[in-house]
Amino acid sequence: MAFDLTIKFAGEGGEGVISAGDFTMRAATYLGLEVVTFKSFPAEIKGGYALSQVRMSDEKILSQGDGFQILFAFNGEAYEVNKPLLKPGTVLVWDGPEGGDFEPEFDWLEKQGVIAYAVPMSKLAKEEVGAYITKNMVALGAASELFNIPIDVYKEQIVSKFSKKGQDVVDLNFKALDAGINWVKNNIKKADSYRLPERMPRKDVIILEGNEAIALGAAVAGCKVYAAYPITPATTVGNYLSELILKANGYVYQAEDEISSMAIVIGASFSGVKAMTATSGPGISLMQELIGLASMAEIPAVIVDVQRGGPSTGMPTKHDQADLYAAAIGGHGDGQRIVIAPTNVEENFYLTVEAFNLAEKYQCPVLFLTDASLSLRVEAIPTPNIKEIQSKLINRPLITKDMNVDLNEILRYKVTETGIAPMLAPGVSPKPYAATGLEHGEDSSPRTRPDIRVKMMEKRFRKLQNIEDENQHLIEWDLGDLQEGDKADISVIAWGLTASITKEAVQRLRKKGYKVAALYPKLLYPVPAKAIEKVASMSDITLVPEANYTGQFARFVRMYTSVRPVQLNVYRGEPFIPAEIEAKIEELVGSKVNA
Amino acid sequence: MSYQFVRLQEKLEPKDYRSNIEPTWCPGCGDFGVVSGLAKVFSEEQFDPTSLTLVSGIGCSSRLPLWMNAFGVHTCHGRAIPVAVGARLAKPEIPAIVTAGDGDLFSIGMEHFPHAARKNFDLTVVCMDNRVYALTKNQQSPTSRTGYKGSLTPYGNIEEPMNIIAFAIACGATFVAQTYSGNPKHEAEILKAAVEHKGFSFVNILSPCPTYNKIDTFQHYKGRTIDINKDLGHDPSDYGKAVELASHALDHDNDPNAKVPLGIFLKIEKPTFEDKVLALKEKYGATDNPDWDKILERYRP
Repeated sequence: MAFDLTIKFAGEGGEGVISAGDFTMRAATYLGLEVVTFKSFPAEIKGGYALSQVRMSDEKILSQGDGFQILFAFNGEAYEVNKPLLKPGTVLVWDGPEGGDFEPEFDWLEKQGVIAYAVPMSKLAKEEVGAYITKNMVALGAASELFNIPIDVYKEQIVSKFSKKGQDVVDLNFKALDAGINWVKNNIKKADSYRLPERMPRKDVIILEGNEAIALGAAVAGCKVYAAYPITPATTVGNYLSELILKANGYVYQAEDEISSMAIVIGASFSGVKAMTATSGPGISLMQELIGLASMAEIPAVIVDVQRGGPSTGMPTKHDQADLYAAAIGGHGDGQRIVIAPTNVEENFYLTVEAFNLAEKYQCPVLFLTDASLSLRVEAIPTPNIKEIQSKLINRPLITKDMNVDLNEILRYKVTETGIAPMLAPGVSPKPYAATGLEHGEDSSPRTRPDIRVKMMEKRFRKLQNIEDENQHLIEWDLGDLQEGDKADISVIAWGLTASITKEAVQRLRKKGYKVAALYPKLLYPVPAKAIEKVASMSDITLVPEANYTGQFARFVRMYTSVRPVQLNVYRGEPFIPAEIEAKIEELVGSKVNA
Repeated sequence: MSYQFVRLQEKLEPKDYRSNIEPTWCPGCGDFGVVSGLAKVFSEEQFDPTSLTLVSGIGCSSRLPLWMNAFGVHTCHGRAIPVAVGARLAKPEIPAIVTAGDGDLFSIGMEHFPHAARKNFDLTVVCMDNRVYALTKNQQSPTSRTGYKGSLTPYGNIEEPMNIIAFAIACGATFVAQTYSGNPKHEAEILKAAVEHKGFSFVNILSPCPTYNKIDTFQHYKGRTIDINKDLGHDPSDYGKAVELASHALDHDNDPNAKVPLGIFLKIEKPTFEDKVLALKEKYGATDNPDWDKILERYRP
């Protein structure tokens, strides 16, 4: 990459580090750069360690990266936490020489080759601006002057964020920017070479946050009823959707709990419209019984799970990929479900549309597994062609009044070769039926006779028998220069956000001469066994990196295929960094330099 | 902008609202009366079986949608109301009626009732109140009287029953009534008024279980009911009086001279949730084909 820079703001929650990152992300996209953000904050409204980092490049960015080049440390904790990442050539902008709560070890920094700039953010905010709350704007003023970040974009962001609070608030923040700029002009001699480039030709992109992409995808897919209960980190899907869906003739409904949310999705979908809910781990646990009803009564339903650290309340704002079991096999009885997972913000959009298509096609619940990090990650993605997407939408087959079908021939659960039978909906179809969670015959009447039970169980599962073959677009292959069947040093299978991080590690390894065969399944369940067998057959070792303790997908791989993968797991509440996956592969394969 | 329920041009017979599945209830079950009462009302309202949704939970009474010729969802235990809310949000022109039992609505599904009521969904909730869990073979329900002997409480219920009439009023239901499946004429009148009420209507139907509940029987109710509207002249728009009458709804459990109150306790007019959603949609210029180019503009850098 010609230009690849990561700026990190870290400090106490409530000090504005998140806004500092957001404003800087906007500045980078204004310049025409690609961006990937990473944010993390505690579950409390104020206090605790918070960070926001922006990686920017003139080329497509795969992950949040390994570290940063520039750190703005708002307090001592931010400095201590990030000290291990202060590598030679990195820049530390710290809250000093006066007014802050810490002083870095100058000798160590010098020995390490770290360039340190003191900007008294707290002191300037308090004394010069007269409002401590503007500390982050002092930092941004300094950032603008030090690294050529367009000040006009910061000003624009201030206006759009604070104009509702009055011109005096806007002016106060402008004053803080100036304080930061002037401090740098008068006190700092730039010793690093980091500068944002001049503005490039504007690209045809839109900027989306992870959960915003899901909201847009739902509206484009034609979702008419969205029901959810507030839960971190899923709530913002509804925030982003509430006014958008009204324009598209739908409604965001705040339900009394997650059980109700799922029931509403079933009631709406039964009535003939597309419906969705979004929740996180605890909500998925509550929804399990009703997800089973959607399986049994064959009602299309889209359930978004923005995974967070569990079990129980766990770590509500932190990264985890540990709801796969709950999503795929968390219900009682044998029920057919589909689980898909996006690997980046762009896929949050496209796979939300896909989730509706799968639900409508296979008439069953589709669980969409994203996560806390992806929910907050911001990316600029090529502007989607909505007309084209909508022309390819799949809608459930319905028997309608104008079809002139013999009423006696209509059976809601007709046993067919594919297992799929046309649906009926109130107001549309010529004949009603009563859906039930009881086992039932083809006409939906309750039945417990062994032969009928066997026939209906097989019918429901037959729908998903060929799901892998029918959805090759949900399995991403990345063989690099290898051909299918070639011998590779290692094969890697990764899903969710971990897949996008793995991609960056794989790119680096290939540059070092490693032959890596990679598979990034978006369809997780039913497990795409054929693709897994195929990629694993290319090497003696298969690695499955996952952000969970037990290796949930790795265990599915063992359950459904002959592959016995090596696991690499992190469960600290943060995603992998590419270097970790890179190092593990080097360890498993052996050093290429010595070979 | 509002919605109108879909209705037929011509009247169907009550039997046309019955499916070909025969109820599996015990002979003498009070719930048979609810089936005939609903079928009669659907006929009078000229509802279209293909544009009508009945929703139930789990329990003896919740099998009801399966015996009817209409769209139906026999949901999970306790979840009839939110499934019906989903149906109301999806298609306000399709009438939705919840038919469930006292245990389903007021024990396992308790959290849903207050919210559907206070939000005033245009929905009729019919409780078939036999004061017992019958499908699981005789356990006390939230409406079982003190001293009731269930399989888990052979020594007699040590709890107080829940006054669901008073509860429904407190939740903000805009129509609250009680009737009795042993009085088909009164039952049909009340169900009709409930279905015609624009807003959340709750009808508690005292529906004896002949198999397990040997106290709250047809025999017990016989001659003990009183029509609060006709006999006592209660005006259902009088909220204060409704609350007072409701507070005495269970007096007959302990006082042999107290009457079992039947009739409409409360009926007040408020905008429905569905109408409020339609107003919002109008405000936002809702259309199935919005201008996506314009919408995407706001996501640009």
